[in-house]
Amino acid sequence: MSYSVRVAFQSLWHEKWINFLSMVTIAMGLLMIALVSSSIYNVELFARKLPEKFFVVAYLNDQVSEQDAREMIASLKEQKIIEKITYISKDDALKELRASLKDADYILEGLNENPLPASIEIRFKKEAVGPNTIKQFVDSLRKMRGIDDVQYGEKFLLSIHSIKAGIETVGLVLTGVMVSGIIFICYSTVKLLFYRRREEVETLKLLGATRGFIRAPFVIEGGIIGAVGGLLSAVIVFGFYYGLFLKLSAAIPLIRSVIFPTQFFLLLPVVGLGLGITGSVIAMGRIRFS
Amino acid sequence: MIEFREVSKFYDTVTALRSINLTIEKGEMVFLTGPSGAGKTTFLKLIYAAEFPDNGKVMVSQWESDKLNGSSIPKLRRNIGVVFQDFRLLSNRNVFDNVALALRVRKVSEKEIKPIVLDALKMVNLRHKTDGYPSELSGGEQQRVVIARAIVGDPAILLADEPTGNLDPDTAAGIIRIFKDINARGVTMLIATHNPLLFRDTGKRVLRLDNAALIREEQG
Repeated sequence: MSYSVRVAFQSLWHEKWINFLSMVTIAMGLLMIALVSSSIYNVELFARKLPEKFFVVAYLNDQVSEQDAREMIASLKEQKIIEKITYISKDDALKELRASLKDADYILEGLNENPLPASIEIRFKKEAVGPNTIKQFVDSLRKMRGIDDVQYGEKFLLSIHSIKAGIETVGLVLTGVMVSGIIFICYSTVKLLFYRRREEVETLKLLGATRGFIRAPFVIEGGIIGAVGGLLSAVIVFGFYYGLFLKLSAAIPLIRSVIFPTQFFLLLPVVGLGLGITGSVIAMGRIRFS
Repeated sequence: MIEFREVSKFYDTVTALRSINLTIEKGEMVFLTGPSGAGKTTFLKLIYAAEFPDNGKVMVSQWESDKLNGSSIPKLRRNIGVVFQDFRLLSNRNVFDNVALALRVRKVSEKEIKPIVLDALKMVNLRHKTDGYPSELSGGEQQRVVIARAIVGDPAILLADEPTGNLDPDTAAGIIRIFKDINARGVTMLIATHNPLLFRDTGKRVLRLDNAALIREEQG
């Protein structure tokens, strides 16, 4: 085993309590990051599925012939944001209504003529679905001749987008705070260890040690503290997943739709390692020889 | 090997060294003497770049004090073995590891370290104390561990700061014998001491420092 690794492990053992406390604190911080990022991930996934289900319905007035409607569709399709437009004639609409009423379709029997308007159902390209783009499109659609009314889930679209933006912002801020916190924990742990071993460091300098030689054991130690913290958080996360989440999702369908980003959680020790090394490097700063 | 050109060093308002001019040739053994506070330790520190001159220039082998930087200082120091006045032994490492440290900073492989360290400890008669810790050793033994650490890396220059301070005459004589053996291998040596017994009848150059200046050069 290399000298630096041996010294790092000796120091880890020698200062085991302070190191253990740092590891636990880092684990808690990483746990928070894991929680926040899986929330963002799930919201993101949900929001990504949204455009596929979203559509706008424009109701045509009765003066618009099918031929006119086809021309209208052709001109609308020229817009880049459109994915697909479906024409629903008055007859189709009635058929649909009849089908949806099933056994209760007798209520339609007294009608002399079809009261339902023809309509077009417009679906958009995924990347185009946003409150502003859709609103602009709908406004221009409303001004078109032959269109009586336009309906779409305006409030739903707006609220989903603001929830998504809100969670992302809060998540990013929280993650930033946690990342800085973890770096700070590693920083102060290594700073303390460095301070306790300052005489050794001074002697090493006088014996001709390079900066790299002096830094190596501290960076290794900081990295190990971070990585073990990460490992600890991964163990807790997977413990929760197998011990609780799977059982709960079997019982409650809503939980089943929550995606558990396993691959990300496997990365937690690596994230811890990276943050540990960063904190240690900052803690040692520039080593001066004179 | 070592050259001082018009070197002066000040600490705030105190003059530690004033206009020192000196040359020490390769393989020479030179003593530096003078009363406490005369500037002996500063003199040595200027050689291993723990201090830098405020005026003038110190040259050691191919290094010049005004051109040293973060990467060349460790290289210079690896060419110099220093017997520190305050020992600078690591209390949490045993004798073997303390001596081996000088080789580890030189990136010598762990496999090669063992025989070299044991040889150095044999030279200072401490082969039997390999596993002891500094706190378990007498002053003379600690001094010899420091000497072993200073010579183990086979440096071109050996500096010793009061190497026999607080030692009884017999132990001091033993240490001087070790120094002579090291010098006989061609190592350039500068020994700072206020003890005249150390250089008397050695036939070596003795530099006398007083009140921050090199006042006399004599034969021991």
